[in-house]
Amino acid sequence: MRVVLAEDLYLLREGLKQLLGAHGFEIVAAVDNGPDLLRALLDERPDVAVVDVRLPPTQTDEGLQAALAARRQVPGLPVLVLSQHVERLYARELLADGTGGVGYLLKDRVFNAEQFVDAVRRVAAGGTAMDPDVIAKLFARSDDTVGRLTPREREVLELMAEGRSNAAIGQRLFLSESAVGKHTASIFGKLGLAVSDDDNRRVLAVLAFLDGAR
Amino acid sequence: MRRGLHALAGGLLRGCYAVGSAVLLVVHLALFVPGLGLGLVVLLPWPIVLMRRFTDLVRRTCGGIPRPYRDRPGAPRREPDGRYRHDRRLYRSPFWPRQFDYLDWALGDPATWRDVGWLLTNPVVGGVLGFGPAALVAGGLALATGGGSPWWIPVGLVLAVAGGAVAPAAVRAHDAWTARMLAPRPGIGSLKAWLGKRFVTLTQLLALGGLTVVSAALAGLAFIAFSLFAIGIVGSVPEFATAARRYTGIRRRLAEQWSGVPIQTPYRPEPELPARRPDGLYAVGDSLYKTKGWTRFFQRLDWIWNDPATWRDLIWTFTDPIVGGALVAASVGAVLYGFVGMTIPALARLGRLQDPPGLAVLADRPVLALLAGLALVVVGTLLAPAALALHGRWTAVLLAPTAKAKLALRVEQLTESRADATSAQAAELRRIERDLHDGAQGRLVAVGLALGAVEALIETDPAAARRLVADARESTARALAELRDLVRGVHPPVLAERGLVEAVRALALDSPVPVTVSADLAGHPPEPIEAAVYFAVSESLVNTAKHAAASAATVQFGHSDGVLRAVVTDDGRGGADPADGSGLRGMRHRLSAFDGTVRVVSPAGGPTVVTLEVPCALSSRRTSTSSGKG
Repeated sequence: MRVVLAEDLYLLREGLKQLLGAHGFEIVAAVDNGPDLLRALLDERPDVAVVDVRLPPTQTDEGLQAALAARRQVPGLPVLVLSQHVERLYARELLADGTGGVGYLLKDRVFNAEQFVDAVRRVAAGGTAMDPDVIAKLFARSDDTVGRLTPREREVLELMAEGRSNAAIGQRLFLSESAVGKHTASIFGKLGLAVSDDDNRRVLAVLAFLDGAR
Repeated sequence: MRRGLHALAGGLLRGCYAVGSAVLLVVHLALFVPGLGLGLVVLLPWPIVLMRRFTDLVRRTCGGIPRPYRDRPGAPRREPDGRYRHDRRLYRSPFWPRQFDYLDWALGDPATWRDVGWLLTNPVVGGVLGFGPAALVAGGLALATGGGSPWWIPVGLVLAVAGGAVAPAAVRAHDAWTARMLAPRPGIGSLKAWLGKRFVTLTQLLALGGLTVVSAALAGLAFIAFSLFAIGIVGSVPEFATAARRYTGIRRRLAEQWSGVPIQTPYRPEPELPARRPDGLYAVGDSLYKTKGWTRFFQRLDWIWNDPATWRDLIWTFTDPIVGGALVAASVGAVLYGFVGMTIPALARLGRLQDPPGLAVLADRPVLALLAGLALVVVGTLLAPAALALHGRWTAVLLAPTAKAKLALRVEQLTESRADATSAQAAELRRIERDLHDGAQGRLVAVGLALGAVEALIETDPAAARRLVADARESTARALAELRDLVRGVHPPVLAERGLVEAVRALALDSPVPVTVSADLAGHPPEPIEAAVYFAVSESLVNTAKHAAASAATVQFGHSDGVLRAVVTDDGRGGADPADGSGLRGMRHRLSAFDGTVRVVSPAGGPTVVTLEVPCALSSRRTSTSSGKG
């Protein structure tokens, strides 16, 4: 699997290269600033990109902007964004086009190599990987969208928002896969999402949730 | 030469218009009298339309004056029952409503009456300005050719040339006058509003006139106070000054509200009780006092006595009755005297009433007295706004702080805000130090210890080593989480990355109360101000969430007159007391370092409006100088 990596701290960049290399990824470009990242994304068309939000030269959200710009030109280009802090504002911007293939994780998550690599693979396959912190922030507020869900459905949505498959959710919650399927169908119904391709609906559910919880 | 001829021709045309006006006027009279007098309203619209056609022609040919009329009303609308309505009557056919609508439209338009005014005056003005130059030329030529004596020839020629020379000016004057009469005039319809405003102004002046009595009373009080002071009752002066300050405070407010002249309070802040000397005494100036009460008493005397504003207040109490009184007399006094003292007695005299009220002047010429009285009323009314503004400026002369006092106040304010800012900063640094010490630093020590143990155990007890590594990983994750929270409190990363408005949007997303953020900023404020405003807005939103029981809140950003403004509004229960609550105090301290202010308006029952204002310029750059990592 071909990966473009953008991270300006040398140690972390090398560490990520090693980690991804050890799990069978091929690093086609490792850059340390925004303009280079955009060029690499458009030239290489990688299977997945791992991007730090804050990059030189401005030291603002250069990485996020480059990723969004690349996705505008190549819809659905899988991008996993890493950051020292998570903002719902950014999560929404990433998910806004509704095409999936988006991840947004705290940098701490690379500590757990297995889970991190799993998230990279999920994003590459067109799924989502939202940091549990983003999700926790959503559930910290009570409002209509969440209020209409049963506690069990909320748990399912929480895991779905993180990007887990029905099988993985079932495993976590000790449910059968078909029971999870029923819950997800009920969630889609309550969020008013029409029947369509399941993967897409999962992204839309998370997005509706991010928007609705405003 | 050609211009002169052209102007002469133009003058003749305008003269013809004058004749046309006269003719139209006759037609009007012929139709208006039966129209209004006999109730034949059908006759009314026609002359109006005729008049408009005529004035339109004049507008087109006299320099392209725009039309002033209102739009014509549409056809009467059919009611559900098939009848037609005008005002409060229903008609079976649309004929009458249409007529009445038409009449309302034509007669209710002030432009119609200006047209009539023009029609009345134009036969004379237009005749003189239009035909005048041509008449001069024609008369001059006639004199020159048929005058009989050769002496008339130069006189006639001079007259003719003069006629040609004044012709362009006459045409210009005619057109300017016509434009004044016939062009649209915005706001002329609101004579009532104008009169209302003048009435309010006159009432305010009258009130100020009444207050001069209080000033005079204070001046008398000052006399008593200083007499008492002279015989040794020194406490009288501070008491008098306090009363005077309360009164001048009211006058300052009135000057701002009525005359639009903002006046700062000029007094020095009251000093605090001095620290007790080692010998147990208090020092005020060069004197020492034993008890707190006397210390305070003499300190107060010292404070009042040495404040120049005290003496300016004193001078003002003596001069306000004179200067302020004169201003009031010139406006509202003239109106009152003109009406009560002249117009009414003159009318009574003219009406040959028994025992008419006395007339002080022009007693034997009631018509002249009537005219003079009315002129006084008009002049007084016209002078009123100027008198009110002057009154405000006069108040500022003595009641505003002097340049020196202003500087002293500013120094005082800066000293205070600097002390606030430095102590707030010190507290902040102490908090960061404590957080780092108890949090991340401690965790890193634990990680170091664990790794040391792993080094020792990795050969002998791999299982324990593995457990320790897992612990170490956990500790680093915790340390990171704590550092993240700390960084958020110091300078939120999203603020560095996106600037103030987006950072507040991110904040709004995380708020338990739905918050709408709107911004009208052409650039970015300087970074320190962004941070201060961000934390102040954050604090307000936290308060909203905690106390207001609100269902919605808004944050609005704006920048005008060099001031950045953030307004946080919620629809909660209100009743927030700005006096208590350390959050608000912190907000104030943060902003005061930048000369910023916080205003909280929170009546019981809501809504609560918190307004943050910081003077600053906006810049267009958006490159962060911070080198932190995201």
